[in-house]
Amino acid sequence: MDREETICASCRDAFEPVNGGCRICGAAGDGLCAECSRWETTAFSGAIDSGKCLYAYNAAMMDYFHQFKFLQDVILAEVFAEEMANALKKSAAAIVPIPMNSAKLKIRTFSQVDSMLDAAGVSYFHLLIKNEEVQGEKTREERMSTRELFTLNGKEVPKKIMLVDDMYTTGTTIRLAAQLLREAGAEEVKFVALIRA
Amino acid sequence: MKELEDFLTGRIWLRDFTPFAPESVEQAIHDGFIAVRPGIMESLQCARCLNRSKNNIVSFNCAKCEGVCHYCRHCIRMGRVSSCTDLITWKEPHAITPYSHSFIWNGELTDLQQQASNELKQSLRRNEPHLVYAVCGAGKTELLFPPLHGALSEGKRICIAAPRTDVVLELSPRLKAVFPDTIIHTLYGGSPAEAGFAQLVLATTHQLYRFEQAFDLMIVDEADAFPYSYDPALAGAVKKSLKANAPVVYVSATPSKELMGSIANQSKIFRRFHGHPLPVPVFQSLWNYRKSFHSNKIPAKLDEWVKQRLAKEQPFMLFFPTIEMIGMAESLFQSIDPRIRAVHSKDPDRKEKVMALRNREIPGILTSTILERGVTIENVQVAIVGADEAIFEASALIQMAGRSGRSSAFPDGEVVFFHNGISRQMDKARDLIKFYNREGFK
Repeated sequence: MDREETICASCRDAFEPVNGGCRICGAAGDGLCAECSRWETTAFSGAIDSGKCLYAYNAAMMDYFHQFKFLQDVILAEVFAEEMANALKKSAAAIVPIPMNSAKLKIRTFSQVDSMLDAAGVSYFHLLIKNEEVQGEKTREERMSTRELFTLNGKEVPKKIMLVDDMYTTGTTIRLAAQLLREAGAEEVKFVALIRA
Repeated sequence: MKELEDFLTGRIWLRDFTPFAPESVEQAIHDGFIAVRPGIMESLQCARCLNRSKNNIVSFNCAKCEGVCHYCRHCIRMGRVSSCTDLITWKEPHAITPYSHSFIWNGELTDLQQQASNELKQSLRRNEPHLVYAVCGAGKTELLFPPLHGALSEGKRICIAAPRTDVVLELSPRLKAVFPDTIIHTLYGGSPAEAGFAQLVLATTHQLYRFEQAFDLMIVDEADAFPYSYDPALAGAVKKSLKANAPVVYVSATPSKELMGSIANQSKIFRRFHGHPLPVPVFQSLWNYRKSFHSNKIPAKLDEWVKQRLAKEQPFMLFFPTIEMIGMAESLFQSIDPRIRAVHSKDPDRKEKVMALRNREIPGILTSTILERGVTIENVQVAIVGADEAIFEASALIQMAGRSGRSSAFPDGEVVFFHNGISRQMDKARDLIKFYNREGFK
């Protein structure tokens, strides 16, 4: 591309890779993390086979994410293109982004997950439709009951799926998506998220 | 409607981010008061900040306009402008009724200030640009008061712009006290919304991206300061914010050669308002200071300088070339005196720490160039660590030296340039200061 590097080396060094730990979400530490252990006692037990988060949500990542998502600096999707590609290239599963609500997408003008995958040169396809977007204001219990967060878009659901999202916080979103896909016939669901918040 | 007009006159604003209800904006567009245009022009230039470099105007697949769209990265922090964002302007010019503005100031100008003030008035009468070239502590702001009062009373809309928020915040209360019945708005990144039509606007130069053909007179304070000196787009913003043929007045202690060469009308004040000469910097070698800090040791001469200031109870400012070095030095100096504080541009407590130094609550401050100007602390002693580093240009060195000896009670401060080899910029700074002292006392 006829342009300078998107970010400089010292900014890049400020990001902190996560080399976890937890089999399901990749959090630091040994074995299953406390949160995922709790999830495994719920109806969502086994919804996710395994997952990986690439970076911790440190100060540099907060700045990055703010500029990318909220200031809508779309070309920052390029920053983690290589890392995303590396995390996904070995997977034989179908790559499925966590989608944005369509009204919200119009306002934001881009989906941060899709743009990152585009920048990484990874082919993907959508299986899900997101119905609403008020996640942030809900308690964990309310989120758990939000079974209608996603619906299927009607395309055939493959046996193996790799979900991709920008941020893993409580793990609710990814589990709701995984559960729905399993009910529709998926046998293995893994995920990759850029950030472990 | 009146509120919308007051706000929008002279501004170029994101349609979706005004402080008004979308319906009232809609109505004003429908009634023909507001003009709408795309944020990125067909020539791929940003309509707000006028940037057009390929690094800054970038394309993406837009879900809103469902196609290839461009956006500007240069001014993105003010809310992203893209091909499918609408920018709005108020079509009609605002008629300002001339009246005599209240002018409450009983200070006195020195002869040199008075002369510069008169010369500036004459330039403004002819609608010509003017440069006020005056040393640190000459009393530049005060000499602007009479010409400002004249221009306000003639019904001119005026902007005073400075590159740094600190400088704008310092000016604001002073001007509000002097012109108590004038509506004055103070604009900087994150400033609160203010009501009414401001005839006098104080703004960081960045905020001028959001104006277009707004002002009859522009005063650019500290025109040589970063980022104004560094980003040519800011000069473009000044130009864009002016009405046709409106003059610009530059005020600086360290104007560039280009600026001096480009403006015919100049006033020079090389003597401080209190009549004492500028403290001349002393060069002091500080070999391998980097290595010393890296091995957690304060270089001996610097250690001694700071201990002397503490013993004499003189407040001090210690300038460093990098934030990294400030970080290394902070704890070392705190082991001499735990009250010593460090600041840099990203420090949210900067204002409080400077205040603490001014109030003698702390003995000294370690700082980056962020405090090189706009700061007045009585009897402050100044040292620059690594004065030979490339970041310290002569203008910055002069400004830092200019922090000392500002009050008439303590006109002789000490200024030390600690160095690892004398740079040309150091020589240039010292020669200029000596030149000012010669010229000012002819």
